[in-house]
Amino acid sequence: MRIAVCWKWVSLDRDHDVDERWAGVSAADEAALEIALLLRDAFDDCDVEVICLGPKDADDVLRSALAVGATSARRIDASAELDGHTVSAALADHLHGADLVVCGDYSIDRGTGSVPVFLAAELGAAQALGLIDVDLASAATMPLRVVRRLDGGRRELLDVSLPAVLSVEGSVARLRRAPLAASLASRSIAIAAVPGPHGRPAEAEVHPYRPRARTLPAPTGGPLTRVREILDIGGDDGHAETVTLDPPAAAGRILDQLREWGY
Amino acid sequence: MPEQTTVDAIVVGAGPAGSAAATVLARHGYSVILLERGSFPGSKNMYGGVVYPRILDQLHPEWWLEAPIQRWVTRRSTMVLTDTQAVTVDFRSTDWGAPPYNGATAYRPDWDHWLAGKAEADGALLVCSTTATGLLRDGSGRVVGVTTDRPDGDLHARVVIACDGVNSFLAKEAGLYGEVDAANYTLGVKETIALPKDVIDERFAVRGRDGVDIEILGGTSGVNGGGFIYTNLDTLSVGVVLKLPKLGAQKLRPEQIIANLKAHPAIAPLVEGGEIKEYSAHVIPEAGLSMMPTMTADGMLVAGDAAAMCLAAGIWLEGVNFAMASGMYAGEAAAEALEAGDTSAGGLAGYERRLNDTFVLRDHRKLHRAPALVLSDRVQHRYPAMIANTVERMFRVDNPSPKPGLRRILNEERKRAGVRIRDLAKDTLDGLRTFG
Amino acid sequence: MSGAPTGERWPELSFEDLIATTRFDIHERAHITVDDAICADCSTRECVVACPANLFVPTSDGGILFNYEQCFECGTCYLLCNKEGAITWTYPEGGHGVVFKRT
Ligand SMILES: Cc1cc2nc3c(=O)[nH]c(=O)nc-3n(C[C@H](O)[C@H](O)[C@H](O)COP(=O)(O)OP(=O)(O)OC[C@H]3O[C@@H](n4cnc5c(N)ncnc54)[C@H](O)[C@@H]3O)c2cc1C
Ligand code: SF4
Ligand code: SF4
Repeated sequence: MRIAVCWKWVSLDRDHDVDERWAGVSAADEAALEIALLLRDAFDDCDVEVICLGPKDADDVLRSALAVGATSARRIDASAELDGHTVSAALADHLHGADLVVCGDYSIDRGTGSVPVFLAAELGAAQALGLIDVDLASAATMPLRVVRRLDGGRRELLDVSLPAVLSVEGSVARLRRAPLAASLASRSIAIAAVPGPHGRPAEAEVHPYRPRARTLPAPTGGPLTRVREILDIGGDDGHAETVTLDPPAAAGRILDQLREWGY
Repeated sequence: MPEQTTVDAIVVGAGPAGSAAATVLARHGYSVILLERGSFPGSKNMYGGVVYPRILDQLHPEWWLEAPIQRWVTRRSTMVLTDTQAVTVDFRSTDWGAPPYNGATAYRPDWDHWLAGKAEADGALLVCSTTATGLLRDGSGRVVGVTTDRPDGDLHARVVIACDGVNSFLAKEAGLYGEVDAANYTLGVKETIALPKDVIDERFAVRGRDGVDIEILGGTSGVNGGGFIYTNLDTLSVGVVLKLPKLGAQKLRPEQIIANLKAHPAIAPLVEGGEIKEYSAHVIPEAGLSMMPTMTADGMLVAGDAAAMCLAAGIWLEGVNFAMASGMYAGEAAAEALEAGDTSAGGLAGYERRLNDTFVLRDHRKLHRAPALVLSDRVQHRYPAMIANTVERMFRVDNPSPKPGLRRILNEERKRAGVRIRDLAKDTLDGLRTFG
Repeated sequence: MSGAPTGERWPELSFEDLIATTRFDIHERAHITVDDAICADCSTRECVVACPANLFVPTSDGGILFNYEQCFECGTCYLLCNKEGAITWTYPEGGHGVVFKRT
């Protein structure tokens, strides 16, 4: 059994300084390692490997991972600013054969949460993302029972079989502290590094389209009218139409429309 | 059970004192662990803003080539404020802007990090994010190590040097301090205020890397203490130091006292328009010699603020240099004791001898009256008005009345401020004996 | 910002904005606790005016509400408080608490 934990080396400071005082991994990434360590105890004969993409300075966080009990640690030598696709492609090269991959749900610096999604696709693994709980007892019986946060305070229970990629929120677990002796011993460990991508920082960040705020007159009609007003649909500009279909046909229709619009 | 971790020496606290001590021990070839509770050295430490690193000539010659400083202090002013007046004594020296320099503004998270890095480079093992929580002792009561807040966190050593700062719970636990009295402490609060470098250069009349150090008497809203302004490259350090019991006994909060200082007509033009980048606070051991602990116990030494080594001559604050020096001497004495195989209090006596023979305790002895004098009610509440009014009347043009003589003005203003001639004479004598 | 007399000059920033300029890496364990039953008998309340982080807030029922999160770990409160047992003061777990950057 092999569990891999993916870490991203980032600046933890609001000014984005990356000198050694301000760099590290996010609380979500730390939680990912704690979950992996807890699951290791539930499976027998299980290794936890931590893989971190980053420059040489990132070795220190990998040593701290070894000090808290990771079986092994590896650094993919890469520049700090890369897009999610490049990161997940580089990670996937080293993750084939892992039964379970645990990531933080999004890194603080870019915050898109796309890496685990791409990873699951690259590895052909199941995915359960943005988790707020992992039922450790379920590891004995499998599938793994996990909990995901949905909008409006609702929760989704998922049963995940392996291989799988999980991403967890920082609140699922607090990483245990390294015992003093292990922490001291880890100081002299050399971290294995493998070559990885070196991209230039992305020129500009791409944000999803957000319509401008505008003022609407107070509602007059029923709820459906209001939704139409807000979304600008059902007007006569030819961009929108209202259809009534059963769910599978509706999904098909949406996909067709998206394709037509060039997505 | 994990194996017991044992080293020659543990230094608690990677401030200026601890890093100096660890450097000396590592250079003598001893295994030394430097423990720091912050995530990096300096992350817990704030001060006013000027280091006087002369003592580093011994530890790190030509330190100025690499030390992370902001500006070299080439202009030093002392201001006396009343609500509407300001008297400033201003001194400049171009010598201070060239090697070997005198003082420099620096941020502690930069300075302490750099100094601890030097200790590491010399072979000390720096362990951050680890708080020493207590002392380990053997049956005879001798200190043999520390406990920490890590799992299996006990650490054993032949000697422990406590450089854990003003609150030093280790020195207190070892019984080296008597009763703790709030009157021996002041609180320092400060804002770091960003302004473009050229604006700072212009407002403070300096160029390039030259900087200014201004100490202020009378700008603390009636709470005994002092104020300060220091220039960094593109920020100002603006703050106040407040005597604890006096602060607690009135109604203004520390940030309001800073706000009042910033609004003073003599200060406002200097700080206007700046953006606050950081608000910070720290306590200062203010009482010098009179509060110092016993310096050694069996297996243990205390240095820096942990031993109240900060020289707080009222509004003039020197602590980092005293910390570095006392740390260095503690390191030397510990090395000597390790060599001789005797780290009992007696074996460590070389520490106090060094403190007594050097500026560390000599300056403290010379200035032992200063904190009480400068923070006294007369100096704080009566003298600023007396001085400012005297100067105002000297400079005022009262035609057609003839100019009064200085002696007459001074005498009238002394009476007006409610200062008795006997007290003025005594304070002047004290001042001369202290600073003269 | 309670307890301040009216008519004083207020800082140009609200206290919340001022302290928001400082970095804190908060740990879930409260490193300082205040026994507000003891505070109920305290007439001096020096902590309220002196704590530079403004963490001691008098409550309407005569107690003290204390939040440990944005604390400078300076020591002012325990030095000034003279009621035995009111304040239990320790450092936060290593690596947590206030993180200074430019001071
Ligand atoms: C407002 C203010 C203005 C000042 N202005 C000046 C000035 O302009 N110039 C000047 O020279 N001095 C100034 N000083 C004084 C100066 O800051 C101190 O004297 C100096 O920092 C003392 O150094 P130190 O190494 O003894 O202690 P500190 O700098 O306090 O270092 C102690 C270290 O120990 C660590 N520590 C504490 N307890 C533990 C523990 N249990 N386990 C592990 N680590 C621990 C702390 O995190 C810290 O890093 C000022 C002080 C203040 C508060
Ligand atoms: S903490 Fe101390 S000073 Fe503050 S209210 Fe309680 S008893 Fe009084
Ligand atoms: S240690 Fe300082 S900042 Fe923290 S609660 Fe006490 S007085 Fe306030």
